[in-house]
Amino acid sequence: MNGSWVPFPLYVAHRYLRSTRRDAFVTFLSLTAAAGIALGVAALILSSSALSGFQTVLRDEILVRTPHIEVTLPGGADLEGLMTEVAAVPGVVSAQPWIRGRGWLMAGGRAQPVEIVGFEDSLPEQFPGLSDRRPGLYVSDRLQKNWGLATGEMAEVISARPTLTPFGPQPRVKRLAIAGAYAAGRTEQDERVAIPLADAIPLFGQENQRLVVACADLGEAMGVAERLEVLLPPGSIASTWRDQNKALFFLLRLEKSLMFVAVFLIVVVAAMAVISDLMLILAHKQAEIGMLGAMGSRPESLRQILLWLGGLLVGIGASVGTLLGIGGAIVLDRYRLLSLPGDVYFLDHVPFLIRPQEVLVILISTLSLALLCSWFAASRAATLRPVEALRR
Amino acid sequence: MSVSVVARCLHKTYRDGVRNVDVLQGVDLEVAAGEFVAVVGPSGCGKSTLLHLLGALDTPDSGEVQIGGQELQDLDLRQLAGFRNRTIGFVFQFQELLADFTALENVMMPGRIAGRSEAETTARARLLLQEVGLEERWDHFPNQLSGGERQRVALCRALLLEPPLLLADEPTGNLDPRSGTQVFDLMLELQNRHGTTALVVTHNPELAGRCGRVLALEGGVLHPRDR
Repeated sequence: MNGSWVPFPLYVAHRYLRSTRRDAFVTFLSLTAAAGIALGVAALILSSSALSGFQTVLRDEILVRTPHIEVTLPGGADLEGLMTEVAAVPGVVSAQPWIRGRGWLMAGGRAQPVEIVGFEDSLPEQFPGLSDRRPGLYVSDRLQKNWGLATGEMAEVISARPTLTPFGPQPRVKRLAIAGAYAAGRTEQDERVAIPLADAIPLFGQENQRLVVACADLGEAMGVAERLEVLLPPGSIASTWRDQNKALFFLLRLEKSLMFVAVFLIVVVAAMAVISDLMLILAHKQAEIGMLGAMGSRPESLRQILLWLGGLLVGIGASVGTLLGIGGAIVLDRYRLLSLPGDVYFLDHVPFLIRPQEVLVILISTLSLALLCSWFAASRAATLRPVEALRR
Repeated sequence: MSVSVVARCLHKTYRDGVRNVDVLQGVDLEVAAGEFVAVVGPSGCGKSTLLHLLGALDTPDSGEVQIGGQELQDLDLRQLAGFRNRTIGFVFQFQELLADFTALENVMMPGRIAGRSEAETTARARLLLQEVGLEERWDHFPNQLSGGERQRVALCRALLLEPPLLLADEPTGNLDPRSGTQVFDLMLELQNRHGTTALVVTHNPELAGRCGRVLALEGGVLHPRDR
């Protein structure tokens, strides 16, 4: 680096960085500082990628079973008319009526509390893992396996809402043949069963009906929900997938933020090492820096020399850390090197997902802090009076 | 090119533990443009302090310094830096060469600071190294040069931008007598050739005697002394 285009502070800083090789102690401290930055950046990328991987799998597991938008309607709403209007809203792919309620499933002498979903036409997408989606009673594959249920076997679906008769409350029961078993997924969830809407209405009544709205993609749901609010009758509530899982998403965000703060402490310590290293170099080069001042180098140029030196150290550390973090995450994810007990967790390995925007945030935070620390050391160089630096 | 140097009633006091040491107690000095002046005196009498004040490296407690008509106290830190770069060449006892740069790069440093073109600066630096007999050693680092060679490099560096004023603080103080004489000869020759105003602080009465005028710093004030 000796071209005339290189700014004077960078020219001197680059040479000072190379020169640290001749001093074992300064070299050790410089390497420690750069390695600390590299370690911090790599740890941040790895941990945030692992959390993103986990959270994405968890989110996908949950969202595939959650309607994009669920509209709760007030009693007496014109369902047919609303469905036509809702289907015409931009961003809406389909609108279906559905009923939700609590109850029990009984089969082969066993009973299980369940959430009962009544659907119209074919089985909704929120019950994945089936190709044949004809109307009928669907249970989870987990329940089917545990109870040893066979397709075509009869089961009773009982509503938690009894019918009041002169002889006292009588349970509302539907006896249906099991049409199939949907994939329950690996996340812990309440047992759900799906039955045709025509069978669900006698169990829960007409007034419990809702609309399930499907959008082109998840991201559109919030905008569509806002547009729906305008045409829905008063008392309606359009709740998106985000509203339905608000607590979960808050916890996921909180988990990631806390992890970032904890792992970022490595970078804080490394940034302190950068200050120590620059101060040591400043002490070693004091007379030379004084001579540069005597030759007419301005205070801001002297500050920039140390700032460039810190910047180069941090830049090297951050580059190595980024390569290690991204490379490590790719290898660990591709070859599933971090395994988990599948019977305890819902995954058998730690998934890694690298999000460019997260890597950018990590790099910006690291560089900002480390450069701030460099600025502190560099300011000392700017205040160094040539006469003090030259005095022996 | 040369400038005159004028100092009026310079005072400088240092704090040494609990007591104040009045190093300069009203120094008056006038050096004409192109003159070569030696300042002599015992160790600790304030010679280096005087040089630092004249070189805009330090500020007096009171008094004025004027170089080429420019009052130094009128300039702020940035302006002083630029003034030093354009006007003054320094040579110190310990050379203060930058250890990570070659002899040529050290000589070129004031040009880089001034933002001069690389081609012009390189040509000028090579010419100066040739003048002091170091043209073959341009790519050597300071630790690969002898004390006399390092001082010659420092002299070239001081003269790179053809400053009108050369200030030298014990330029031969750290050299053996032969090397010291060689460096001083070179300094006289270059000063003669470039017409630079020069002020040299030295302990060596023999070398001081070869300057145009000799001043002795005693009791915090300057006195003329016979050569």
